[in-house]
Amino acid sequence: MYIVYLFVAALMGIGIYAVVMKDNILKKVIGLGIIGHGVHVLLVNIGHVEGGLIPIITSENIAYLGMHSVDPIPQALVLTSIVIDFGITVLALSIIVMIYKHIHSLSSKDVGKMKG
Amino acid sequence: MLIVIPIAILLMGALFTLAFRNDKIGITALIASFISLIYVFWSEAGAVFAFSGWEPPFGIVWVLDSFSIFMSLLVMGITSLIVIYSVRYIKKRSHRYYALICLISMGMIGVSLTGDIFNMYVFFEILSIASYGLVAFFSDRHALEGAFKYLIMGSFASSFILIGIALLYGLTGTLNMADIASNVSVMSHLPPIYMATLGIIIGGFCLKAAIFPFHAWKPDAIEGTPSPIGALFAATSSAIGLYCIMRVLFLFGLIQLNWILIAIGVITMFVGAFLAFMQKNITRLLAYSSISQVGYIVVAYGIGNLPAITAGTYQILNNALIEALLFMAFGAAIHVAGSEILGKVSVKNDFLLISCLIGILALIGIPLTNGFVSKWLIYMVTWTVNPILTVLTLVITGFTMAYSLKLFSSVFLSPDKKTIDIPMSMKIPIIIAVVFCIMMGILPQGGYVVSEIASKALFELPKYIGLVLG
Repeated sequence: MYIVYLFVAALMGIGIYAVVMKDNILKKVIGLGIIGHGVHVLLVNIGHVEGGLIPIITSENIAYLGMHSVDPIPQALVLTSIVIDFGITVLALSIIVMIYKHIHSLSSKDVGKMKG
Repeated sequence: MLIVIPIAILLMGALFTLAFRNDKIGITALIASFISLIYVFWSEAGAVFAFSGWEPPFGIVWVLDSFSIFMSLLVMGITSLIVIYSVRYIKKRSHRYYALICLISMGMIGVSLTGDIFNMYVFFEILSIASYGLVAFFSDRHALEGAFKYLIMGSFASSFILIGIALLYGLTGTLNMADIASNVSVMSHLPPIYMATLGIIIGGFCLKAAIFPFHAWKPDAIEGTPSPIGALFAATSSAIGLYCIMRVLFLFGLIQLNWILIAIGVITMFVGAFLAFMQKNITRLLAYSSISQVGYIVVAYGIGNLPAITAGTYQILNNALIEALLFMAFGAAIHVAGSEILGKVSVKNDFLLISCLIGILALIGIPLTNGFVSKWLIYMVTWTVNPILTVLTLVITGFTMAYSLKLFSSVFLSPDKKTIDIPMSMKIPIIIAVVFCIMMGILPQGGYVVSEIASKALFELPKYIGLVLG
């Protein structure tokens, strides 16, 4: 069980490292994506139940399903969050394309000096 | 009953403007924001709307308490002013501009009216993505740099808000705010994991509200944007961030004396005012001044009794009006003069001179303007906690006076002035803002009563829970 949390922490650590330390702005955006994936794994893991059943009611399992089913809500949340991350990534990449047209560089040092 | 109508209207407004790629399309955004304003104005506090009939706490609910109605009215009022102002300001690609304005105000209304914490995150993301788009709107060097910095920092903060929400869901097993509050309220004291979750969520919202130490994106973002969007950011986006912080504290029953918030507020005030004084660019100066003014609100909210929260809410209202007025008035001067550098913009226009003077007097907090009333209330409540705080806030007011008079004298009192003329559509919203500033300074009672009603909602947690869960 704890290995999942370790995995989440590792993903987030890699992502934060990329966003904070990397010079290339494309790598920063990739880092944002990795942080997002870490959060998604955390969310899915919250809905996990050891040996859980599918949360669909049938005539046989109606008596005990409530106790033993996995939680379906985090998956809905993760889907929403994936779409939001997709939107942010698309916007970031299009901004990067426009930045590249202006300064012909992807280094964040050059982006910081864009105003001239 | 149908609280969703403003959202639906704004979303349709955005789609219409995008569908008819016409540059005269600003009128759609104007109509959409006015209808939403009027609709929110007539909605009653205490309504609960459960989406597609799912009983709370299972489905998404929207809850209108007086604090959220206050916030959405403020947002829609400022947006309507800014849409009028933009008609002559934005000439190229204006359909995209108005679509993004509709989306940004839709996000703000959604954040303030929702009663579901994940729904709040989703609307905050709609608001944030529309903001990134608007910052990048001019696609020149300033705009792209500001937009990229804002996007990286903003989505970093969003990830942390989402982690906080995920942990909160894991701990309480619900996303409904009233249900979370009722789960938390039965505990005698909060376990450390709850406090950590609270810290993560509030840290994320602090970045969105541009509170120290996460204020760095705001000047860069505002510098590249069109002035009306600068007005929208300075007036409302910090207010919405603060609203979320207060709402989360409210859910945890933590509306009380909070020295961390007070300390952050004081530092924000100092940093904003000090950096504003150092600026050579008019828009950056105004952006830092708006950061500094948000500090006053944070201090008032940190004190956390009813008079203090009322003072803070009143300061949110006044600050929104004043910042909108200053950005619109100086923005008109910048737009006509074609430069943002302090010293290169010197204009001769009696209308702008008077409105900027009133805006600056209100920003400092001179009597007979609305800024005085809320600042006075803040001095009073800080005095009851610790007189040193009052001294600190007064020192910041001195700083405010220094930088704003520097700005005013550089733009209006330098010897070689250029006579300029500004269009009527820019004058109307400035006149409205000036009238409100003076009216609320002479007759402060109305604004005070409204802020008090809004603030009282933050002290009625059992009533909120009862309202939603029945």
